[in-house]
Amino acid sequence: MIKDYKIYDDLVENLCKELRDILIKIPNQYKNKIEEIRLRNGRPLAISYEGKDYFISSDGSVSNNTNNSFIVNEEHINSTFQLISNYSPYAYVEEIKKGYVTISGGHRVGIGGKVVYGPNGIENIKNISSLNIRVGREKIGISDNVISYLMEGTNMFYNSLIVSPPQCGKTTLLRDIIRNLSNGIKGSKGFKISIIDERSELAGMYRGIPQNDVGIRTDILDGCLKYDGIMMAIRALSPDIIGVDEIGSKKDVEAIHEALRAGIKLISTIHGSNLKEIMEKRSMEELFREKIFQRFIILDRSRGVGTIREIIDGQNLKPIHIEKRE
Amino acid sequence: MILIKLIFSFLIFTTCTAIGYFHGQKFDSRLQSLIYLEQCIKILETEIIYGLTPLPEALTNVSLKGKSKVAYLFEEISKDLISMKRDHIFHSFQSIETELYENLHLEKEDVEVFWGLGKVLGTSDTIDQQKNFKLTLKQIEGLISEAKSEKNKNEKLYRSLGVITGVGIIILLI
Repeated sequence: MIKDYKIYDDLVENLCKELRDILIKIPNQYKNKIEEIRLRNGRPLAISYEGKDYFISSDGSVSNNTNNSFIVNEEHINSTFQLISNYSPYAYVEEIKKGYVTISGGHRVGIGGKVVYGPNGIENIKNISSLNIRVGREKIGISDNVISYLMEGTNMFYNSLIVSPPQCGKTTLLRDIIRNLSNGIKGSKGFKISIIDERSELAGMYRGIPQNDVGIRTDILDGCLKYDGIMMAIRALSPDIIGVDEIGSKKDVEAIHEALRAGIKLISTIHGSNLKEIMEKRSMEELFREKIFQRFIILDRSRGVGTIREIIDGQNLKPIHIEKRE
Repeated sequence: MILIKLIFSFLIFTTCTAIGYFHGQKFDSRLQSLIYLEQCIKILETEIIYGLTPLPEALTNVSLKGKSKVAYLFEEISKDLISMKRDHIFHSFQSIETELYENLHLEKEDVEVFWGLGKVLGTSDTIDQQKNFKLTLKQIEGLISEAKSEKNKNEKLYRSLGVITGVGIIILLI
């Protein structure tokens, strides 16, 4: 818990002075839970956690209505963007084009504003009107009890897919599984892992250094498209396992096939609330027909973010682990 | 008595000459500062446009590569930026105002041009930044040629004036 306060306090250091002074005053019970800080031009300063929005007043008090809430203006957004981009938006153009900037600590800041197109697609985002600061919390140890379901013996890993609706902790769980597999756990050997971190969320790379612990045998292809990254990893990094976040497109499936042909195992995540929903996705049809995934981990929020509802065997689609409910 | 007169005359002469010399020296110092400042801004341009180096690091690199008479100020700006967590880099440019006038002997118009760069530095993409660097360098070029002619016109004048004033006072007193 103490560490969570520190994560939040370090994060607000990246905001402009006025917002920093307000956000640092919010009660500690919220600091531990906050998932997002929302800055919108001319709108109340907001935070969100457990799927709900709350508004902050200038004395740092938290409320679920907008009376007395502090209004964010253009100056706050521009100053915060200066600090977030380390006074150097020109150095982050490639990230800005994708709509976000990753900051120290592995937190990701989404950007809203006027999108400028050029001959080669999106060139920049100007007149920034909103910033969504997503608090990245690494939860070391959350996968310790899951790993045994994903392995046969100590040296064989099952292709696994984490299925979860947004903001249920799938990236956090994936990161910790990768850390455990990479370091080696419960007598298993450590696996060589390549992470294709298209949105810089898994490793949270900041100036070439992963801000999250992703293990000692892990290579990272940061900001790389999944298809390109998987092909590059197969060719050059000789991984035992490839870790990717949020698969879904046909090109991803094509690259996954390439990896499997090369004898590489896969751990990934996908948006969805249950197995039936993702089986109906056209792009995923082939993977299900071929029974590529041997384990499915289904997450929800029933007992807080990151609740593992069940783990399903990919061969017979029967649960091998069900969350005990009180 | 003559000896005392001689000593006082010598003191008056050296003081007036020194005042004239140092006053004239300011024109040379300004010119030198502007030339070094131009070099430093060119290094900063390379760091930003071609190296895509984040601004605080780019400023530190300038302080290591540029002429120390001016370059140390870039390190000061970088330190101020990080330690004070400024909302805008321009405030860090303002923090070195005294040094610009007193150590570099810059004129108000020189400082305004340098601050003009501070107002736009790191606020946009490389294309826009390059345009701003070009404009600032062009303005500094103009200031350098102005400082050169000021130096040629005034440096000798003030030095001679110091000597003549010293001699004049001695003649009047004797």
